[in-house]
Amino acid sequence: MSTETLHPTQTAEDFDPRAEGQRLMKEWYAQLETANARNAAVANVFVMGNAVEILRAFDFELVFPEINSLQTGVRKVSEEYIRLSEDYGMSPDVCSYVKADVGLILKENEHPAGLIPKASLAVASNMCGTFIKWAEIWERWLKTPTFVLDLPGQRAAGWQVRPGDAQHSADARWVEAQFQELITKCERITGKRFDMDKLAEVEERVNKMVDHWNNVMALNRICPAPFNAMLDGLTYIGIMNVHRGTEEGVEYMRQLEEHLKAKVARGEGRVAEERFRLLFSGTPCYVSMRRLVELFETWGGVFAYSDYLTFAAGGMDATELRYDTSRPLESLAEVTAMAAQRGLSNQFFAHERLAQQIKDYEVDGVVFHGIKSCRFVSSGMADTRDYIGKRLDVPTLYIESDLIDPRYWSDAQIKNRVDAFFEALQQRGGAGPAAFKTVATV
Amino acid sequence: MYVAGIDIGSTYSKAILLDEKRKVIGTAVRRTGFKLGQASESVFEELLTAAGVDRSGVTYVASTGYGRQTVTFRHTQVTELTAHAHAAVHLFPDTRTILDIGGQDIKAIRVDGDGRVRAFRLNDKCAAGTGAFLEKTARYLGITTADIGPYALRSTNPMEVSSVCAVFAESEVINHLSNGVPAEDIMMGAMVALGGRAVQLMRRVGLEGGYMLTGGMTHNAAMIKALEENLKGSFHIAPNGLGQLNGAMGAALLGLRRVEKLLADGKSIPLTAANLGPAEASIRRRWSATAVKKPAEPCKSGGDCPVVAKVMAHPPVGTATA
Repeated sequence: MSTETLHPTQTAEDFDPRAEGQRLMKEWYAQLETANARNAAVANVFVMGNAVEILRAFDFELVFPEINSLQTGVRKVSEEYIRLSEDYGMSPDVCSYVKADVGLILKENEHPAGLIPKASLAVASNMCGTFIKWAEIWERWLKTPTFVLDLPGQRAAGWQVRPGDAQHSADARWVEAQFQELITKCERITGKRFDMDKLAEVEERVNKMVDHWNNVMALNRICPAPFNAMLDGLTYIGIMNVHRGTEEGVEYMRQLEEHLKAKVARGEGRVAEERFRLLFSGTPCYVSMRRLVELFETWGGVFAYSDYLTFAAGGMDATELRYDTSRPLESLAEVTAMAAQRGLSNQFFAHERLAQQIKDYEVDGVVFHGIKSCRFVSSGMADTRDYIGKRLDVPTLYIESDLIDPRYWSDAQIKNRVDAFFEALQQRGGAGPAAFKTVATV
Repeated sequence: MYVAGIDIGSTYSKAILLDEKRKVIGTAVRRTGFKLGQASESVFEELLTAAGVDRSGVTYVASTGYGRQTVTFRHTQVTELTAHAHAAVHLFPDTRTILDIGGQDIKAIRVDGDGRVRAFRLNDKCAAGTGAFLEKTARYLGITTADIGPYALRSTNPMEVSSVCAVFAESEVINHLSNGVPAEDIMMGAMVALGGRAVQLMRRVGLEGGYMLTGGMTHNAAMIKALEENLKGSFHIAPNGLGQLNGAMGAALLGLRRVEKLLADGKSIPLTAANLGPAEASIRRRWSATAVKKPAEPCKSGGDCPVVAKVMAHPPVGTATA
């Protein structure tokens, strides 16, 4: 492994991805806390379909309401925020991310990580129907100017967009026109002129991050897996989103890759004895993620990959999603249109995608996690699970809880399912009880 | 040599004692109550009395059920899904789909000819498909749990109980009562509703001929009738009331297999409180992973990414937990 790229005083072994990730997140929240006082432009954005690159070119400070909500879960206070919004009148069936955010508004932006600034712009998209309604809440309550991107999705079953085909080109032009409108809006809000070179610089940094990201993901194909996709992976994706296109983001991802490469070279895995490699499909349960991973790791089960790491970042894992910095805006539109197609059509091609990942990461089983908050991402799991189990003969487990609502976590039930799943996995490899089959004399 | 299987369920605790020929020496069933540690101790005591066997005669104890960790004197533990599968195929070798209706959950398990779990489904976070639902309905109607079956069999026109929620279903029961519907028709209606949900769960796991019903419901003729009508097939039911003890029996059988393996390998079986008495309980055995070394692919120097997809040996051959 080459160490010349590292900071002179730091080696790959010194780098602690979790501590460094937490430090960056803390810094980001601290920065946000003073944003309004500094008269900085602040934008609310979602992790999917967000045109972050344009906003960065205008020096917007970014607030990710989804990350705010999940952070209430990680810090075990989400129930308080959710209950506030339910007291206000929201139904228990509404997405818990939205409810935690409404709770945050009702608490006058007081978040466990610090004060969340008032936004001067909100960018939403149709990547999720709830995004639009969510942005309407800010628009009507807080008078936040809102811009909703219309990203074309699936046209027909059995069809997937390819880069450069007629449909993709048309979609990209449609998205680009909206970006031009967004740029005008940003110019009006910030009083700055749009700088194309700055956009190219941001895109260059995103390209670097995405390259490192793809390498990091690929490192987990090695046995033993150097990281757990559903614990360590969540820290990595947090940085990928929050620091997308920043110097700190590039540096973090670079060091992370070096660190994991060194770990692989030493033959070190996430757990002492990796007995089962698993794939996690669905969204995390942020309130109990550590507990869930512990339930699996006591059996020597590691999540080598998770499709969450693909779609929670708007499909950033595909190698073709690189920006052509010689034509920044067109390229941004092309990649955004493509990523949206991938994100939205994932629901229709989930089985094919998972089948490929099962092969790539050589997993022994797939764990599906359905959530109460979003029936959209959970409903197709039945078909996918059926396909994986029957056609590929890969064992699957389905568990259900929520993104951040702790009231849907039932420890005894989940533990029982997980234990039974591992017993079944073990039996597949072990000798059957056939040899001892005698009928009981009663 | 005797091996005990203890199943600490949410509602009932069951225990069974087998000898080395897999013959049933004694059984015990009692309500679990809220002190799980005590429940396991009491049901074990009852089992020993019923079997006429002394503590020191019990070589091995295997626990299962929601409270399996509370059996401090266990040698091993196993989930009830694995236990049910094992006992079912042991009793009826042609069993392929098992339905277990417990106090607080229902399980559908698909097994292979060797008693290995191929797939399983449990009910979601709702009690309308569980034994507790029937018990609650019976309580409203003033019937004891034991009388539910014979009482419901008198029904001529089962009333529809459609709610998917056990609590709301109770309101429906009250509504039927106030409309003068005979209690047996309500009771049977509740069973038909429960049966429908249970069979639906079996369909989700994939219906494969050779059905077996386990759990306390095997005592309830009306429930079996409702289930079989819905399934349009018949269930294997373990003889002599062993249906409710199926989980405990599976644990015991798995325990016995483990003992045989240990003895064959010339290893000793550690003593626990099961043999010594509760006061001397000190060591708690925990499941531990057997060391399985998998080779790591070393990084190659140079190039962007060193990853070379490596063909990995299939899942390590684990020694069975029990």
